[in-house]
Amino acid sequence: MSAITEAPRGNCALGGANAVFSAIDRVVPIYHAGPGCCMQTTAGEAGQAGGRSPFYVSGVSTPCTNMLEHDVVFGGVDRLRETISGALEIFEADAFFVLEGCTSGIIADDVKSVTDEFSAKGLPVYPVDCPGFLGESYRGYEIAFASLLDHVVQSAPREGDLVNLFGIMPYHDPFWEGNFEELIRILEKLGLRVNSFFTRRQGIAAIRDSSAAALNIVVSPWLLKDAAAKYEERFGVPSLRWSGLPIGATDTSAFVRAVADRLGLKDRAERVIAEEEAYVYGYLETAIGALSWKRFAVVADSNTAIGVTRFLANDYSFTPIVTIVTDPIFRPEDKERITRQLTELEHAKPPAVVFETDGWKIARELDSHSEITLLVGSTNDREYAMEKGIQCSVVAYPITDRLVFNRTYAGYRGSLTLVEDLYDNL
Amino acid sequence: MSEYSGIRERRPFSYHDLGGQSQGLAEGFRKRCLKASDRSFSQGLQCQEINSMSALMSMEDSVFVVHAPQGCVGCASFANDLYRVGQAHRGLPIIRNARIIVTNLDEKDIIHGGEGKLREAILIANERYAPKLIFVFASCASGIIGDDIDGVAHSLAGEVGAIVVPIHCEGFKSKVCASGFDTAFISISKHVLKGERLPKQKNLVNLFAPTSVSRKDQVEIERMLAVLGLEANYLPFYSSLEKLKRIPSAEGSTAICKVFADEFMKELERDYGIPFAHTVMPIGVRNTDKWYRGVAALFGKEAEVEEVIAAEHERVLPQIEGIRKRLEGKRVFICGGTGRSFAAAALVDDFGMRLVGLETPTYDEDAQLDIEYLNGIHGDFVVDVANMQPFEQVNLVKKLKPDVFIGVPTWTARLGIPTTHVLDMKRPTMGYDGILYLGNKIADQIENPGFNEKLAAHARLPYKASWYEDDAFKFIKTFAGPAPGAVSRAAPAGGEPVIREVR
Repeated sequence: MSAITEAPRGNCALGGANAVFSAIDRVVPIYHAGPGCCMQTTAGEAGQAGGRSPFYVSGVSTPCTNMLEHDVVFGGVDRLRETISGALEIFEADAFFVLEGCTSGIIADDVKSVTDEFSAKGLPVYPVDCPGFLGESYRGYEIAFASLLDHVVQSAPREGDLVNLFGIMPYHDPFWEGNFEELIRILEKLGLRVNSFFTRRQGIAAIRDSSAAALNIVVSPWLLKDAAAKYEERFGVPSLRWSGLPIGATDTSAFVRAVADRLGLKDRAERVIAEEEAYVYGYLETAIGALSWKRFAVVADSNTAIGVTRFLANDYSFTPIVTIVTDPIFRPEDKERITRQLTELEHAKPPAVVFETDGWKIARELDSHSEITLLVGSTNDREYAMEKGIQCSVVAYPITDRLVFNRTYAGYRGSLTLVEDLYDNL
Repeated sequence: MSEYSGIRERRPFSYHDLGGQSQGLAEGFRKRCLKASDRSFSQGLQCQEINSMSALMSMEDSVFVVHAPQGCVGCASFANDLYRVGQAHRGLPIIRNARIIVTNLDEKDIIHGGEGKLREAILIANERYAPKLIFVFASCASGIIGDDIDGVAHSLAGEVGAIVVPIHCEGFKSKVCASGFDTAFISISKHVLKGERLPKQKNLVNLFAPTSVSRKDQVEIERMLAVLGLEANYLPFYSSLEKLKRIPSAEGSTAICKVFADEFMKELERDYGIPFAHTVMPIGVRNTDKWYRGVAALFGKEAEVEEVIAAEHERVLPQIEGIRKRLEGKRVFICGGTGRSFAAAALVDDFGMRLVGLETPTYDEDAQLDIEYLNGIHGDFVVDVANMQPFEQVNLVKKLKPDVFIGVPTWTARLGIPTTHVLDMKRPTMGYDGILYLGNKIADQIENPGFNEKLAAHARLPYKASWYEDDAFKFIKTFAGPAPGAVSRAAPAGGEPVIREVR
């Protein structure tokens, strides 16, 4: 059940699904939804992800039935049929996904029968059942992946050096492109080819043939369980779940070893690790003591919360006080996995771990800890830091006061950027 | 109390899906022979809930309860960002977030109703912040399932200290986002002002301004009013319950935006005897003069305002002359909201530019006045009555090849055309100072188009090459439905496109 939430850090299921489709090259989402859903979802996801708009179709350029009272009463399938026809006529695209909003979901328009009319003619038009009320952004992310698996992915012969990299959600992770790029750079050094679906203008073809992969790497402590299981069941692609964004030498090297272990690339991995760690420490040793010691709190999605907490505690010797995970985690085993990642640290005393999405409750939780001198969070959290006069660094969704292109905090290189940004914020 | 429904489509002779040449449209409108029409294919709109929320989100002693699934606060992030920047521009030491609480309607609530959750959310708002006002926004979902937001608000009247103001801004009620402003004011009237008259305060003017007005613009407009000895009650941006309550004590009202508070000002005149000036947006010399004279006339300051205008002209006209030399004869395509599109069109006249295309969301009696005025200056130009619809915009702009596009640049910049716009919510655009800022901005962009030119070589637009050859208005269909003014949408019966020719 979705709880009443102040200052939510997410959009609806429709917004989450759209974040995925709008990040795929030459794909057009079509909304069967109210007038405004296009803007609300784009503003809610991409707009809060470092202030950009998806390049192909987004916001008010998204085809939409703009359902009004008449459609609520009489149904909107005729309107939808016209809208799909119009979209097919004017857009250059490899696939069209028809996304349901609350209005069509509540009045139960039969979207699939309309999209079937088009797919029967061989046109790539697919239904996605994602009305906003089904849940938050992550629900939409899961629905979108299920839909890609249902409609796009086909079996392909195994390619031993191909991996799929999942778990980093477009836009909902404002640094998704940079994070993908850094992890892909590292995996390519292992001699692998990497599908992300979303970067380097990969598109429908990469998704269709993703069943050829030797391994699915899911960088998230809780997302895409169903999708990973389906890949395994339908195409025999096994998965490696990596719980949290690897940031810095320690976690990234562990990540590299884990991947290499699964694919029999051990020797090569050690060479990559040696080279990359030398690169990182080559820089770190030029700014020793540049940042004074901090007692820090993290307020972020689970991937960022784990990555930042572990890097600052294990690799940078800052003192973790509390980490607040803002994802709406509902499975107890996921909470346990996340808590383990956050508390099994090398030398540092583990931080308090709290799961909370409500802005007011997050502030009260922070109140209960004394002597926090650094708050790593989102734009939402700047207010708290200002009030208390503590340093604040904005590295997690929602971000509306920074422009983000390809910046990353992931991997080896990203950890250096994180330290740079912490210094800038002094 | 208001008799106006808050739905802009219900106003007489109002069109939202139309395209053609300005002379033909003006003639058709004059003869009352424009038929009702609709687009059989359309891109996304802005819903009225977005406008209702953005209008109020900087009220300092308020909490905003949104009765909706979580997606319906997506655009609140824009409003909150503007609010945060606005606080910074006002020099506030601690920059706050707007207090937004969403009931997060889910599947269970859709089936069983969400009134319990709404009640709880209002109590939470009250307990956390003890605000003076709690605004409750409806959504498509809450409206369709029939949740009674008035009933919940009413039942809590004795329990919470705040005034609870329910706003009926369900997105499906209107395709015109400006309806959301009206809906918000209707509720403020009903729940805050309640028809109570107050003693008048001399020289006090209600100055209604939407969120899109920058701090610099507020300062300029307030300066202009102060010169006339007028005190502005600036509403509802950065205002408070106290300022709302002062509304009935004003001697006059005016608005900075043409579609903001216009219906509300009529109501204030009828119910509280407050006359109002509803002219134009104060952008460009002609419009700023016109706007200024309108306000001055309310207070019998016609002579004073002429003196000030003369002095302002003496100050800015020589500088405008310099800008005019850089812009004279340049062909321009303008896209904007109702107020801004026409204001920009008047502005380009100050600089001797030639209007070749205009995209504006509504064609009605007010628009007709502007179009007729512009027809007199520019002859014939293309009019696209659309709220954005980027597919039509890029089609028209590619064919018309203007020297500059004024509007949201996201799409036309990729065609390599210099772009700029007059909706810069964090920077100046208004009054006499704003003219210089805008003029230099337009001229600088035209003279230095490198970014867009290089961008066009690499950037992608999602449309087929064939679309650019097609009739931009081919999806606009007239139909034998109800006359304009009726809200329901009869299915377009594959009728004739309105006017086909685009030069």
